[in-house]
Amino acid sequence: MKYTVTLTVNGSRWELDVEPNEVLLDVLREKVGIKSPKIGCERGDCGSCTVMLDGHTVRSCLVLGVEADGADVLTLEGISDEGLTALQHKMVELSSFQCGFCAPGIVLSTHELLQHHPHPTREQVQEAVSGNLCRCTGYDPIIEAVLAVTGSAAGEEVSA
Amino acid sequence: MTTGRTYPGRADEVNAMTELTYVGKDVSRIDGLDKVSGAAVYVDDIDFGPALLHAEVVESPYGHAIITGIDTSAAEAVPGVVKVVTGRDFPFTFGMYMQDRYVFAVDRVRFVGEQVAAVIADDPRTAKAAAKLVAVDYEVLTPMLDPMDAVADDAEPIHPGLGDYPHVPWFFPKAGTNISHWRKTRRGDIEQGFAEADVVLEDTYRVPRYAHCAIEPHVVVAKLDHADRLTLWTASQSPYAQRHVFAQALAPLGLTHQNIRVITPSVGGGFGGKAGVSMEIIGAAVATAVKGRPVKVRFTREQEFYNTYQRQGVVARLKVGATRDGRITAIEHTMHWDAGAYVEYGANVVNAAGLSATGPYRTPNLKIDSLCVYTNLPPGGPYRGFGYSEFMFGVESHMTRLAQELGIDPVEFRRINAIAEGDPLPYGEPMNPSGLQEAIDRTAEAIDWGVEETSDDPTKRIGKGLALFWKAPAMPPNASSASFLKFNEDGSINITVSGMELGQGYATVMAQFAAEVLSVPPHKIRVENPDTDRNPYEWQTVASHVTWSCGNAVAAAALEAREKIFKVVHDAHGYEEGSLYLEDEKVKCDTDPEFELELKDFVVAGIETEDGTYRGGPIVGSGTFMPEFASARSDPETGQGGHPNVHYTVGAAGVILEVDVETGKMRVKKAALAVDAGKAINPRLVEGQITGGLLQGLATVLYEDMRFDENGRLLNPTFTDYKIPTSKDVPDEIVPIIVETPQPDGPFGARGVGEHTMIAAAPVVADAVADAVGVRITSMPVTAEKVALALLEHDDER
Amino acid sequence: MTIAHRFDYVRPDSLAAALQVLAERGPGARLLAGGTDLVAWLRDDADHPDVVVDVKHLPGLSGISIEDGRVRIGALVTFTEIIESDLIAQHLPMLAEASHTVASNGIRNRATLVGNLCSAVPSCDAGPPLLSYEGTVHAAGPDGERSVPAEEWFTGPRATVIEPGEIVTHVTLPIPGDHGACYLKLSRYRGEDLAQVGVAVVATPGGEYRVSFGAVGPVPFRAPEIEAHLAGRDLDDEVIAGAEALVDGVISPISDVRASAAYRSHMSRVMLRRALRAAVGRLRGDGPAYGAELL
Repeated sequence: MKYTVTLTVNGSRWELDVEPNEVLLDVLREKVGIKSPKIGCERGDCGSCTVMLDGHTVRSCLVLGVEADGADVLTLEGISDEGLTALQHKMVELSSFQCGFCAPGIVLSTHELLQHHPHPTREQVQEAVSGNLCRCTGYDPIIEAVLAVTGSAAGEEVSA
Repeated sequence: MTTGRTYPGRADEVNAMTELTYVGKDVSRIDGLDKVSGAAVYVDDIDFGPALLHAEVVESPYGHAIITGIDTSAAEAVPGVVKVVTGRDFPFTFGMYMQDRYVFAVDRVRFVGEQVAAVIADDPRTAKAAAKLVAVDYEVLTPMLDPMDAVADDAEPIHPGLGDYPHVPWFFPKAGTNISHWRKTRRGDIEQGFAEADVVLEDTYRVPRYAHCAIEPHVVVAKLDHADRLTLWTASQSPYAQRHVFAQALAPLGLTHQNIRVITPSVGGGFGGKAGVSMEIIGAAVATAVKGRPVKVRFTREQEFYNTYQRQGVVARLKVGATRDGRITAIEHTMHWDAGAYVEYGANVVNAAGLSATGPYRTPNLKIDSLCVYTNLPPGGPYRGFGYSEFMFGVESHMTRLAQELGIDPVEFRRINAIAEGDPLPYGEPMNPSGLQEAIDRTAEAIDWGVEETSDDPTKRIGKGLALFWKAPAMPPNASSASFLKFNEDGSINITVSGMELGQGYATVMAQFAAEVLSVPPHKIRVENPDTDRNPYEWQTVASHVTWSCGNAVAAAALEAREKIFKVVHDAHGYEEGSLYLEDEKVKCDTDPEFELELKDFVVAGIETEDGTYRGGPIVGSGTFMPEFASARSDPETGQGGHPNVHYTVGAAGVILEVDVETGKMRVKKAALAVDAGKAINPRLVEGQITGGLLQGLATVLYEDMRFDENGRLLNPTFTDYKIPTSKDVPDEIVPIIVETPQPDGPFGARGVGEHTMIAAAPVVADAVADAVGVRITSMPVTAEKVALALLEHDDER
Repeated sequence: MTIAHRFDYVRPDSLAAALQVLAERGPGARLLAGGTDLVAWLRDDADHPDVVVDVKHLPGLSGISIEDGRVRIGALVTFTEIIESDLIAQHLPMLAEASHTVASNGIRNRATLVGNLCSAVPSCDAGPPLLSYEGTVHAAGPDGERSVPAEEWFTGPRATVIEPGEIVTHVTLPIPGDHGACYLKLSRYRGEDLAQVGVAVVATPGGEYRVSFGAVGPVPFRAPEIEAHLAGRDLDDEVIAGAEALVDGVISPISDVRASAAYRSHMSRVMLRRALRAAVGRLRGDGPAYGAELL
């Protein structure tokens, strides 16, 4: 049984036909064409599918597309649309990512963290990304970037 | 180098460059923007349109069984199913080093999860539902899950046809048994060596299987077009090796290298698991069954765990003798590898171990036996460390224990016996230049070795460990790299190579080589992802060898381009080529300080001369690199006579470990790791390998724990129950130490470090636990549970 | 990602409408709040409902408040909301402490306390705290509302007393007043994990101790034998050792891929010891901060 779902993705309105058994991750990737949320484990363990749903990070592999009817979704593309944030710039400068597969989820998790805690402690940064598995970096270069950028102006929009 | 050999490549020329602008600097990654913005494209991100088909694999539920019948009719009848294929449709074997694996199981299945058939359908849901309807009949056999059982005299061969399998000439399978390869290395007189020893220590170490857990699962899209060309998009470390294996396996269908194209976009981590060909063969095969339409096979995380390569398990018996003053006189190491159902790649891991399982020590007498044993478990294969992560747990645990038996400080024991430049390697060739002593000293200092630390908390003890590591690339003797290079009108550069940026920073380092030679900043240089139609050859991105090998090729290509630049300027302006140099993207002249010509003005357009004619044209460069001194020919009984390994990278790791004696939980308060990179082309990226590799190594010893049931079924194929580190599991402090003893034939002196940084993590923790609480655990993982229960037993015994 | 099974989805806008759907669709209906369990089970092909009933838009199921002298936690309250609630921090700090151990932020932003209680896996982190804080589960059904004390809620692994036509609407807990408490969770490392042992202790000024275990039996449970041993006494080493000696008699741990029964048994004793000491310290005012790493 198909449902018509209306949702906003990165500021744009989408009206889609969605079956109840399609998860939001697949709706975004296949129907909206947004590729930054990744398929890593399909059970909410790895965090690579993270998106922001109505202002909170969620694991989009555990959200049905139909649940998102009327919701507001933000993905990494939406954050990058206006130009990279100071944090993203710092992550580039410090070579924080290696293979990059976890990056979309991590950037969103840190984005959420800085909204609530503009000057987080190291422990708070670790906690914020603890649901985003990264196999490459050992996490320190990511944590370092967050702490480096929040030492001064945190989360400011900077033109690319 | 002490051997007097000459080396190919043009390393000498770049190694003569003294004032370096980009090499040796913390250049930020040239792909950083792609990754942080979401622009990076991985295989599953590519849209193939509505014609894309999806294939779902039908898997064996048994560890060992004869296939007595397959009925695909019910599945074929499902609307939306296009085709169902089985082993009968592709009765071909394939393999990297030995052809022992089938596209789909043909007459028997050899591990739980092995592919038996595939359903190809219009959408994934239909494929999945129809796959359940494929009816397979099995005659169930008893699976063999322990290599020690599989080598027993009465053990049934899992591969009765072993004797007929094609394989590389340096493998020695024993037909009629489960020993698919036996590497023997012997030097000196082992019995004499033990006779000369004052202390001999013997014990067995058990290391289980591990999973790579790259966050991106394996995925392949394949299309056989109407011109009979097969194109594949794979998440791979090895596009050329893949093309070769596809050509080998599908030759009966008329496919050759010319008609197969492998494209690899961004890859979300490899760690060895995306080397060679594992599940991609399924995509290649099913595409041939549905000509004209692309087919995707995307593995779930569970399939990723049980049907892609696993790191092999090993039962290792070590016997080491030393004199009272701490000199090793004999090392005997016998390894029985749990290599899994197919060893086409894993047998080379066993081989590599068989050549180097003394560890980085000098010893006059050695005997190494490395046996690759078939078991009814998933195929083993390449994993970061390639056998060394597996066997160094035993070696470095054992050396510490031996030192303690001798009453000698374990670090001092290592100083006494550490292999040095010129010393004979296990297979006879001399050891390359290496800063092992410096690595030991700086690591020991970083963790205050010799200073005992105590905790205020009565439930905590603090212990220290220091372990050495070494590894050489395990490659065929003719593993090679090639590079093309071209300029654009804005003075930017494209480098086409088929090494793979897996995250390790390869692309940035290649850009740095070209940048240094051509004076173009790295961020004006692109390094293109592999496409076997367009990018020249690279053997594989494995073995920690591409900085060295492909770096040499890129340097050579850049040098060639530079030569052409100087020739054009000479032709157009008359300056002697020897007087020209590059600086800040301009050609300048020693003898005419006024002269400067911007590269972008002529590297495509050429230089206009006085009469209006032009000189030059598009500047392109090419370079290749292949070692000409490596040889896999050696005595099968002694391993002597060849030169199988190009060079070793060495180092040391140290740890300060806090152990809670009530819970067994361990906390890494400080970890130091020194690796001899020869020349750190990008120190920050080397530190990235240290941080990442160390954590991956610590995870294998502290909490990664693969469990199988009695049928050979993997019980924990998810991140819920196979735990890989989160951001909360990082050591309190990591001290990265870069040692630089140049590699003479490396570009700017560089050699690889990517795998090495995880090798010593496991033994260094086992040593620190023993130091902290007096309990020696000789099997991995060394979990909190094992430590706690061992301590309880320890207390009970007292 | 593929959920093979097909099902309907409804999003009622009132409790009455939701109960109506349940009444009509019977045991083939599943309630969907955070979905972090249900959607995973659907993907694992472990559950095959006919209809999924999304309760996130029902009024009256949100929010944390004080009502009739009890803390009221609505069925839609997420673990993140519990962690961020001043009310919970003030009155039920151990519940926030336990909530913080659940998975990770992206899960906690969706997963609900009530959902955790309804999924009722033996290792559920909400179970032991609810027991030790003596909470009550409130459900609405075709015959009206009923209240189930925590001790009667769990009946077996993934089983509770809830009937197919019922919806849990909220949980209430008495306001403990002055107390010290501690929730300890054994996991394999510091990252997210399911509990291999869970211990929730509450210590009151009146010398009452409430001790609950999770993950070491088919359901989370209180340990009255241990509570009786501790009641009214100062917790010196001997008294605590006496409590530890009773642990094996009340727990029934299994061996699985996560931990062996022997380790669970050992750690149940260690964790009881540490949780008691922490709870007593917090009651006294000189204990470790809630959320401190004690294992």
